Amino acid sequence: MELELGLALPGGDLIAELGLASEKSTSMCRKRGFDDMFCRATSPPLFVQKDGDDDDGDDDDSRFNHLQELNLGSRVLVGWPPVRVSRRKSEEGGKRRVNCVKVNMEGVAIGRKVDLSLHDSYQALFLTLSQMFPKKQHDGEESDAAYYKVTYEDEDGDWMLVGDVPWEAFSQSVKRLKILN
Amino acid sequence: MVRGFGWAAAFPDEVWEHVFSFLAADADRNAVALVCRAWHRIERRSRRRVFVGNCYAVAPAAAVRRFPEVRAAAIKGKPHFADFNLVPTDWGGGAEAWVEAMAEGWPHLEELRLKRMVVSDDCLELIARSFKNFGVLSLVSCDGFSTAGLAAIAANCRSSPVHTSVGLEVAILVSVASEGVNELSLVYLLLSSADIPYLRNLRELDLHENEVEDNCLNWISHFPESFTSLVSLNIACLEGDVNTSVLECLISRCPNLKTLRLNHAMPLEKLVSLLQRAPQLVDVGTSKFSADHHPELFSKLESTFAGFKHLKSLSGIWEAGPTYLPAIYSVCESLTSLNLCYATIQSPELLKFVSRCKNLQRLWVMDLIEDNGLIAVAASCKLLQELRVFPSDPYGVAPPISLTEHGLVAISAGCLMLHSVLYFCRQMTNAALLTIANNRPNLTCFRLCIIEPHTPDYISQEPLDAGFSAIVESCKDLRRLSLSGLLTDRVFKSIGASANRLEMLSVAFAGDSDAGLHYILSGCKNLRKLEIRDCPFGDKALLDNASKLETMRSLWMSSCSVTLGACRQLALKMPRLNVEVIDERRGRPLESWPDDFPVEKLYIYRTVAGPRSDTPPCVWTV
Repeated sequence: MELELGLALPGGDLIAELGLASEKSTSMCRKRGFDDMFCRATSPPLFVQKDGDDDDGDDDDSRFNHLQELNLGSRVLVGWPPVRVSRRKSEEGGKRRVNCVKVNMEGVAIGRKVDLSLHDSYQALFLTLSQMFPKKQHDGEESDAAYYKVTYEDEDGDWMLVGDVPWEAFSQSVKRLKILN
Repeated sequence: MVRGFGWAAAFPDEVWEHVFSFLAADADRNAVALVCRAWHRIERRSRRRVFVGNCYAVAPAAAVRRFPEVRAAAIKGKPHFADFNLVPTDWGGGAEAWVEAMAEGWPHLEELRLKRMVVSDDCLELIARSFKNFGVLSLVSCDGFSTAGLAAIAANCRSSPVHTSVGLEVAILVSVASEGVNELSLVYLLLSSADIPYLRNLRELDLHENEVEDNCLNWISHFPESFTSLVSLNIACLEGDVNTSVLECLISRCPNLKTLRLNHAMPLEKLVSLLQRAPQLVDVGTSKFSADHHPELFSKLESTFAGFKHLKSLSGIWEAGPTYLPAIYSVCESLTSLNLCYATIQSPELLKFVSRCKNLQRLWVMDLIEDNGLIAVAASCKLLQELRVFPSDPYGVAPPISLTEHGLVAISAGCLMLHSVLYFCRQMTNAALLTIANNRPNLTCFRLCIIEPHTPDYISQEPLDAGFSAIVESCKDLRRLSLSGLLTDRVFKSIGASANRLEMLSVAFAGDSDAGLHYILSGCKNLRKLEIRDCPFGDKALLDNASKLETMRSLWMSSCSVTLGACRQLALKMPRLNVEVIDERRGRPLESWPDDFPVEKLYIYRTVAGPRSDTPPCVWTV
C-alpha cells in the first residue's frame, strides 16, 4: 500500500487507494474512511524520525501533535484499540508510559534512542548502552559501571553525572544522555 | 394411568431436591422448572446459586421472591464496551436496588459477585450489616466506592468457632450455667450475641480492576484482631499506600490464606518482609518489582520466593526489570498461571523467565515478548491453554516491536492444549489464520485485535475474510470471537453459517452493508452477546431480525447506521426488549427528534422488568 506524499490535502481517490471498500453508500461511512486515513497518518512511513539535535525533545510527541492538527475537528477514535484504560491514569491494561531519550556518544555522528520505561535500574541502562555503543576493551575487563562516563541533561538544563540520584527520580527528570569518551 | 403429572407426587419433595442437587448448570435447572408445577416449586426452593447476566433483565425483588434460598449470587451491570470508555459514566448499573432486595430477602447470602456495577459506600455498609454468614465478596470492574466503604466491610468481620447464631447461644448457655452466673447475666449474654448480624467468616475479598477512591488510608486496620478466616485477599487495584505492618499482622494471623494480591504502591523491601510471613501462599500478586540494585534485597527476595512450596499463580510484577526478575526463577517450574502484563521488561529477560515455566497453563504477557519469545514459549510451555498478548504501546508512539503473526502461528503449532487466545498485533495474513485454524480446531475463544482499523492481509492486500472464515469453520466449539482488520460482508456469511456454538461476538470497523449484520442475526444459533462499533450496519438488518434479539442477552451498536425511526419500530414490535438510545451530545428530548435521526449509541437487551427507572439524561428507552 503506497501513500502518495503531497502538499495538498488528500482527496477521495486516496480512500480507494487505501483499499477501503467502495460499496459503502452512507455518508457516515465515507466520513469514517476520511477519519481512518488521518488516523493512519500516525504510521511510520509518513513521518521520518530525525536524528539531529532537536531542542523540542521527543520526536514522537511532535508526530502526535501533527495528528491532532490534521484531524480538523473530525472524530477521534474513542476506545480503540480496546485496552482497558484506567480513568485515574495509572498504568493499567497494557498502556506503558513510554520514556524515550536520545543518546549521543562523543565523537560518534549517529545518535540512538533508548526507552527508559523498559529499564528498572542503572545497571540495566548501562547494559543497554554498552550494547548500543560497543567499545574495544584494552585490559579485557568487563565492568559496565566503570566503563562509561555517562552524563545527562535534566529538566533544568543542567548536565549531571548519571548515577547520583535514585533511579526513579532520574528517569523522570532526564531529557537526554551523553556518553563521554 | 396417573392424570397429568401426578407422578411427581410419587416421591417426597426431598427426593426430588436431592436429584436436582446434581444439576449445577442454570440451563438444566431452568428446564427442570418447566416440567410441572411441583418441580417448579421444588426447584425454586432449592436453587442455591443465581447468575444475573444483565442486572436490568429482571427486577431484584422478583428474583429474590422466586428463589428464596439463594446462597451465592453473581450480577453483571454495564455492557462490556464500558471497559473502553464507550458507555457514559452515568449510564446506570447501580447496585443499590439489588443489594437492598438481597438484604431483605436473602439474609443467609454467603457469596456476592458484582461485575461492572456502580457500588456505593452505602451499599458496602449495607452488605456489611445484612448477611450473617457472608463469606465471599468479589467486585470486578466496579466503581463508585472508596476505601471508607472497604473499612466498613473490614470492621464488620468476625471469626467465630461456631457457625450458626443458635450454636453460639447454646455454647454461651452451657459455659455460663457451669459457672453459676445468675439469670440476668445469662439473658444479657444471649441478647448481645444474637442481635447484631455481622460478617462471620469472610473468606474472600476480591477487588479486581475497580476504580476505588482513596479516602481512608488505614482501612485494613479495621479488620478486628479476632478475624482470622481470610483465605483470599486481592487489593491489586488500589492506588494508595497500604499500611504494611497492619497487613503483616493480618497475614500472620490468617493461617488459611492462599491468595494474596497486593497493589502497586508497596516498595519491594516491604513486599519481601510481608511475603516471608506466608510461605503457604498459592497465588501471589506482587507490588512494584523494581528498585535500585541491592545485593541484600536480591538475596532476601530470592530466599522468600524459594520458600514458596505451593505457589501456582504469579501476577503483579509491575515495572519489573532485568535486575530483580532472576531472583524468582525458583518458582517458575511450579507456576501454572503467570500474569506479566504490567512488567515492562524486554524480550531477552522475558524469554529467560517464561521459558523456565514448563507447567504454565495460562500466560498473560506484553507484546514485548516478541515473536522470538513466543517461539520459545511454544517450545517450552507444552501445557499452555490460554494466551493473552497485550500491546505495550497501543497508540503507536514508541519504536515498533517485533511481534507479528508468526508468534501466534508458532504458539498454535507448539501448544496442543491451547484453547483461548487474545492477541494484539499490527499485521496479519489469511495464510497465518488458516494455519492457526488448522493447527488448533479446539479453540473456544479467539480474540484478535489488529491495532490499525481496516488493515488487510499485508502480503496479498486482500481482506481477512478467508482467514477468519477458516477459524469459524475449523473451530467447531468456538464460543467467543473478536474480529479486526479489513473485513467484508463475506466473513459474516461464514460466521452466520458455521459458528453454531458462538455465544459472544465483537465486531469493529468491518463489513460493507446490512447484509453483514443480517448474516449474523439470522445464523449463530447460540449467540448471546453481540457488540458492534463503527460498522455500516443499519435499520433493515435490525428490523428483519427483531425476534432474534429476544433470544440474546444484549446487543450493543455504536457509530453504525441505525436511525431513530428503526429503534421506535423495534421497540413497538418487541415489548420485551429495552431499546436504549444513548446520546451525550443533544440537549432536546428524544421525542422531538425525527425518524431519520442517526443513533450514535444503541443498547438493546431483553428484560421481563420493563423499562428501567434510573436512566440518566443521556439515555432514552424508546
